[in-house]
Amino acid sequence: MSKSQNSFESIMPPELKEMVTRAKRLEKWPLAQLISLFEVNTERAKQSRHSIITYLSEQPESDRKQGLVLGITGTPGAGKSSLIGELCLSMLKETPSLSVAVLAVDPSSQRSGGSLLGDRTRTNFPVDDNRLFFRSQASDLDLGGVGKKTYQVTRLLRYLFDITIIETVGIGQSEVEVEQLSDHTCLVLQPFAGDQVQFMKAGIMEVPNTFVINKCDEDSLAKKSYHLLKSSLKLVNVSIDHNADDAKQIFLTSALKQKGIDELASFLLKLHQDKSVRKSALDQELFYLRKWVFQEFGRFGLTHFDATLESELKLHKSYEEKEQYIIGVMRALIPSLTSAG
Amino acid sequence: MTEQNSHTIYDKDGKPTRDRPWIFRTYAGHTNVWATNELYRDNLSKGQTGLSIAMDLATQCGYSSDHPIAKPEIGKVGVPINSLDDFHILFDNIPLEEMNTSMTINGTAMWLLSLYVALAEERGVDISQLKGTTQNDLIKEYLARGTYIFPPEDSMRLIVDMYEFCLHNIPSWNASNICSYHLQEAGATPVQELAFALVTAITILDAIKERDCFSEEEFERCVGRISFFVNAGMRFVEEVSKMRAFCEMWDEITQERYGVKNAKYRRFRYGVQVNSLGLTAEQPENNAWRILIETLGVTLSRKARCRALQLPAWNEALSLPRPWDQQWSLRIQQILAYETDLLEYPDLLEGSVVIESKVKQLKDQAYDEINRVLDLGGGVEAVKTGYMKSALVASQSERMGRLANGEQIVVGKNKWMEGLESPLVGDSDGGIFMVDAKAAQKTLDALAETKRTRDDERVKAALARLAEHAKNNTNLMEASIECAKARVTTGEWSETLRSVFGEYRPPTGVDGQSMSIDDDSNSLTSVRNKISDFIETHGYRPRIVVGKPGLDGHSNGAEMIAVAAKHAGFDVVYFGIRLSASDIVQSALEENVDLIGVSLLSGSHNEIMAQLFDELDKNGAKDSIPVILGGIIPEPDYEKLENMGVKRIFTPKDFDPMAVMDEIMDVINEQKSKQL
Repeated sequence: MSKSQNSFESIMPPELKEMVTRAKRLEKWPLAQLISLFEVNTERAKQSRHSIITYLSEQPESDRKQGLVLGITGTPGAGKSSLIGELCLSMLKETPSLSVAVLAVDPSSQRSGGSLLGDRTRTNFPVDDNRLFFRSQASDLDLGGVGKKTYQVTRLLRYLFDITIIETVGIGQSEVEVEQLSDHTCLVLQPFAGDQVQFMKAGIMEVPNTFVINKCDEDSLAKKSYHLLKSSLKLVNVSIDHNADDAKQIFLTSALKQKGIDELASFLLKLHQDKSVRKSALDQELFYLRKWVFQEFGRFGLTHFDATLESELKLHKSYEEKEQYIIGVMRALIPSLTSAG
Repeated sequence: MTEQNSHTIYDKDGKPTRDRPWIFRTYAGHTNVWATNELYRDNLSKGQTGLSIAMDLATQCGYSSDHPIAKPEIGKVGVPINSLDDFHILFDNIPLEEMNTSMTINGTAMWLLSLYVALAEERGVDISQLKGTTQNDLIKEYLARGTYIFPPEDSMRLIVDMYEFCLHNIPSWNASNICSYHLQEAGATPVQELAFALVTAITILDAIKERDCFSEEEFERCVGRISFFVNAGMRFVEEVSKMRAFCEMWDEITQERYGVKNAKYRRFRYGVQVNSLGLTAEQPENNAWRILIETLGVTLSRKARCRALQLPAWNEALSLPRPWDQQWSLRIQQILAYETDLLEYPDLLEGSVVIESKVKQLKDQAYDEINRVLDLGGGVEAVKTGYMKSALVASQSERMGRLANGEQIVVGKNKWMEGLESPLVGDSDGGIFMVDAKAAQKTLDALAETKRTRDDERVKAALARLAEHAKNNTNLMEASIECAKARVTTGEWSETLRSVFGEYRPPTGVDGQSMSIDDDSNSLTSVRNKISDFIETHGYRPRIVVGKPGLDGHSNGAEMIAVAAKHAGFDVVYFGIRLSASDIVQSALEENVDLIGVSLLSGSHNEIMAQLFDELDKNGAKDSIPVILGGIIPEPDYEKLENMGVKRIFTPKDFDPMAVMDEIMDVINEQKSKQL
């Protein structure tokens, strides 16, 4: 085995520790700088990520959050951002001690690599309220929509916020990814007519835990959509209402007319209370490592990853250490490999 | 009777005559009601025949002068109006019954009309005699100008309320004025101008029809009250054709869609302000000729001649115009109308094969676009989905691309740039207008005095009635007029309706846009190289935030910078207009950006930038996040702004967006090297 597994330093330098302490108090700027460390692709940032996560995970339980990560996805124009804005305000009203972070992911331009991140426009968050934090992220040419960078940031935010909301444009493929990094996924739809249901049957309906029909400014269209959705979910054999515990709920909301927001907010607050609604951090690490292995080493790497390494991997504490370990293994297998990661 | 010829205009008795000129207006208002009243009386004595009132941004956005967001804006781009007491001073010694008064007011149009009606009533003037226009075109506010307040449906309701009230009580008032002017400023092509303005008119008339508050005869008269406010640019042959297309299309739409029988009510009545977008900060004296040429587009053709005309000043790309600059523009109109023989002839272009063919092409394309928008659900829907906004941003990006690539020549800007220094900008005031900072205090004092002396019970009751009528769909005009008489303030009226309707933010239109800049342009290559070096070194793509603080809603500049920055390869956080300095700073902090880009056109840059740096300082980020500024910034202010901490100032002279991006990258790299 490679020695590189021990190359990470778990002790944080004082300035980083200071930043983490202030971020734990949800001070906006230190927190924002910390988030950047989880997005940046440098060796130094990797080292910092390891030590920050190690530090946060070793805090006494009373001082350690185990936040809920909520994926909110849906077609463009479904009004996700406005809805999220209203939901956050409603949740804070019901539970004033709550803290919520929103991570909004927008696509990058294929041509220039740049991006326009415009979701802030639609959330009407007050200034100087540390309980709310909004951050935009570019998908950065990662076709999945929600990539490794998003996962990295949720690793951090879980420890800092009661609820982290990931907002993405969902068009099929990325729902699967959102499902991986969220504890619970909501699909936001616009009110629709019968023929639209046909297209939705194609697989993606199975992914979300909860459905939200937003922009229900008008009651008749809202009801129609509700029944259409319900019957189409039955068609694809997704359980609704059969068993109160595992039923997929449908919410009807209107961010504009303030309808259904409080109901959905209360539902989300209940999820937050329920600690069983949390994905295993290890499973997530393995998922993203596997994805990374495939990107870096293709099917060859995947075969080795799947066949031999999983039990070994668990011995290495953080994501960074596991990654380093894999690099070591790959180097042993492919001697010509000089660098990766 | 002598034999008539085809080149002479004859009156109804068969005598040769000449046309009366259009109404000469100057868009004016500044500082406070006292100074503006003096200006109006002066302009009227110089031969001006109508008033065109410019309100300051706080008044336009529904804030009284004592609101924190209003303070940097008091008296900057227009006169501040807080209550009926202000109107009494503004119109002191000006006979309302003789005036044709145009108010450039939208989000608060109903309020300003209510003040005007209340003023007339308190003076004992019969309100049915009042003549004028409230601009009141909210669709173009969502698309281009930015002083909207309420959601589209509620805004439409206010507009229809005003049409209903005016037709019954002030028959010569134009309750709204559909503006393609601002669409052109926002980049619209002639076809988009025709289509989007006519869609707006259709949206309003459909809403009026739906309310069903008029008899057939009244509805015809109401159609006759729809007037337009149009822009004319440098391509004056195309502009003449556009105006002829407008007239023909309006005649056809009112006849076919609304069955208006009386031809008089189908006439396309319009006023004009010619294009400011094409005016240059470089060799600004050339703008005088541009303004004259643009004037031809809307006056040459008798069949499609404007009813009223106002011209920008030669130095608008530099700053707000001074009284002398406005006088010079007024003289252009007078020379054209009185020294030349233009008004002696019938339509000069009738029968021109070229013009007829061009008109037909514009009409065909505009009808296609109108049908597309109507198929998408009409004007309100096309605002909410961002369809029209995106189309405008795309046209503007193309225009910027043509300028940068040199495909579109602008003299003194991208061609023949060398020239002698203009003596016009060498005056002691630098050729620009400065609002007296102390004048704002007078406005604030007057507002405090109004609040102190009014009957609070009457105010409370008037506002309660306003809220109630807003909720139960009663026409809001009467409740608003009572508010005016009770000395309710602009802020109170707006706040009451905000609490019922809510506030609206339309789509920004920048999503998915790109620029048509040649991939091999030097500046684009340079900035892209700098960005890839940055990513290599720092492990992430440089991030910037672009925003417009304050109440100025002319978003073109900020939108173009946002789109250009994405095209260059930045991650750009863009969140639109009408933000406070603390909104922008908070987003810069949360997003951990490498640079803040701010765009300002209203002349309030000194105050707003000071607020912004205070906010940064408060958060310990003053020396960590560099700030750049773009907009109409007069040179005498540069030093002050740079001392505050502004790293670069960009003006309309910086027309190559990629050169701007390249410099932004330099600023970011300077900052990074300081931190390492």
